[in-house]
Amino acid sequence: MINDTSLARAFWEKGRADDCPVYDMHGHMGPFSGIWFPRPSSEGMIQAMDRAGVRLLCFTPHDALFAPEVGNATSIEAVRKFPDRLRAYVAINPHYPEFVARDIAMFEKHTDVFVGVKLLSDYHTVPMTAAAYEPALKFADERKLLVLAHTWGASLFNGTDACRTVARRYPNIAFLLGHSLHGAWDDAIAVAREFPNVYLELCALLDNNRGVLEKFVEAGLSERMLFGTDLPWFAPHCGIGAILSADVTDEDRHRILHRNAQKLLSRFAGLT
Amino acid sequence: MSITQFFDCNTWIGMPANGALFKPDNAESLLAAMDRAGISRAVVWHISQLDADPITGDALLAKAIASHARLFGSWTILPTQTGETDDPDEWMNRAYDARVRVLRAFPGVNRYLLRAEVVGDILSVAVRRRFPLMLSMTRGAGGALIPKQWEDVYDLLAEFPDLTVILGDLRIWPEDRYFRPLIEKYPRTFVETGSYLADGGIESFVERYGASRMLFGSGYPDCYHGSSMLNLAHAEISGADKAAIGSGNMERLLSEVRR
Repeated sequence: MINDTSLARAFWEKGRADDCPVYDMHGHMGPFSGIWFPRPSSEGMIQAMDRAGVRLLCFTPHDALFAPEVGNATSIEAVRKFPDRLRAYVAINPHYPEFVARDIAMFEKHTDVFVGVKLLSDYHTVPMTAAAYEPALKFADERKLLVLAHTWGASLFNGTDACRTVARRYPNIAFLLGHSLHGAWDDAIAVAREFPNVYLELCALLDNNRGVLEKFVEAGLSERMLFGTDLPWFAPHCGIGAILSADVTDEDRHRILHRNAQKLLSRFAGLT
Repeated sequence: MSITQFFDCNTWIGMPANGALFKPDNAESLLAAMDRAGISRAVVWHISQLDADPITGDALLAKAIASHARLFGSWTILPTQTGETDDPDEWMNRAYDARVRVLRAFPGVNRYLLRAEVVGDILSVAVRRRFPLMLSMTRGAGGALIPKQWEDVYDLLAEFPDLTVILGDLRIWPEDRYFRPLIEKYPRTFVETGSYLADGGIESFVERYGASRMLFGSGYPDCYHGSSMLNLAHAEISGADKAAIGSGNMERLLSEVRR
């Protein structure tokens, strides 16, 4: 049964826990060149969320990140279809400033859809600190939005130094370090301690990096950790099962799986 | 949720040469962790088989599991041309007597080619005696590029189509496009679940190939036990299929291994 806590028992028996509505802060949607996904549609993702008791997913479609002509249109369509279950990040592609300006301009028209912006600097091969990102980050800073960035410890584009610079320049954003500076775990702890607006998002470190979760909690950061799955990449139950197995308390698990996210999202109407 | 038995086909013990974020396990602490999770039996290997050398690691493993009937071993093959291992039949007798039921290969790190000219003698015996060969797709590749690594697996199976092969430690970027053709062509090829995290992946695989070709593995201690356990327990497949993946398939494979 994984372990004998009440939370583990509930997830084991029913697949979800009534007192633990999961908030997944890192998702995608749709097909992607390097991978075949069994169920990448919004309907497929809702099916997975229902099964695992995921209350809300904040996501960015793959085509918004990689097909500039498509942009963020599919996000709007999906959120409007499942307004109680989905919110989106505006994808920022630094190679197309005119599209960035367009997408930022439409943000205000879709405040029921978007909660922030998404940066994918490693893939777009532009440093997160580059001028091309400034309009989006300033916009997010002025409105106190969420900024989810793909971060990786050894990266020249979104590694430790870049994260420090962004966190310092834009103190009003809620800066979600996607994958928690993967591999540079001590750096992730240091950056989170240094900047109160930084959060550690756990996608891709719950799979074969056992021990990192406990390390973050032992560093006193359980109120700054957020659950994420990259859905439709990884099944929510894989990440939830990892957290249920980890050597932390149920109180820590509640923070990671929903309370921290609920607090962050309380700035947006109707999400918590 | 109707799964009651888990037989973990992929777990390891021992102290990694470069340390770990978790406290290393010996056989006793692994069993305690399995009890906590609800896993009844496991096939285990020793990290020194990879980090130090196969012969040292195999010996450490045999000693560690000797008094624990719930643990089955997995030894590392080497080419016989260098004289490091004896006659394949004799070697497999010793393996069987040490409760070893699965073989492993780390061709990249051990610097040989996994093909008939090199390991044909030992793999022919493995086919005859039904010893499964676990191929880790992420451990011991020795820096091989991903497509080349898969090409080597394709070549191996073309040479030994009756070899029982378990594809384990898959990369977390789902690799269905690589492994599904092998599942379709070679009936004794299996996929381990420990790093197969794709949402809906188990359901899709079972729908297309049935449940008999998938084996529960945890990837512990790199991975948490609960990850693959919870994912399988709540997969949208039948209880019988969960039971087959959770333990039945592995029990069947091990029952076929002959001394």
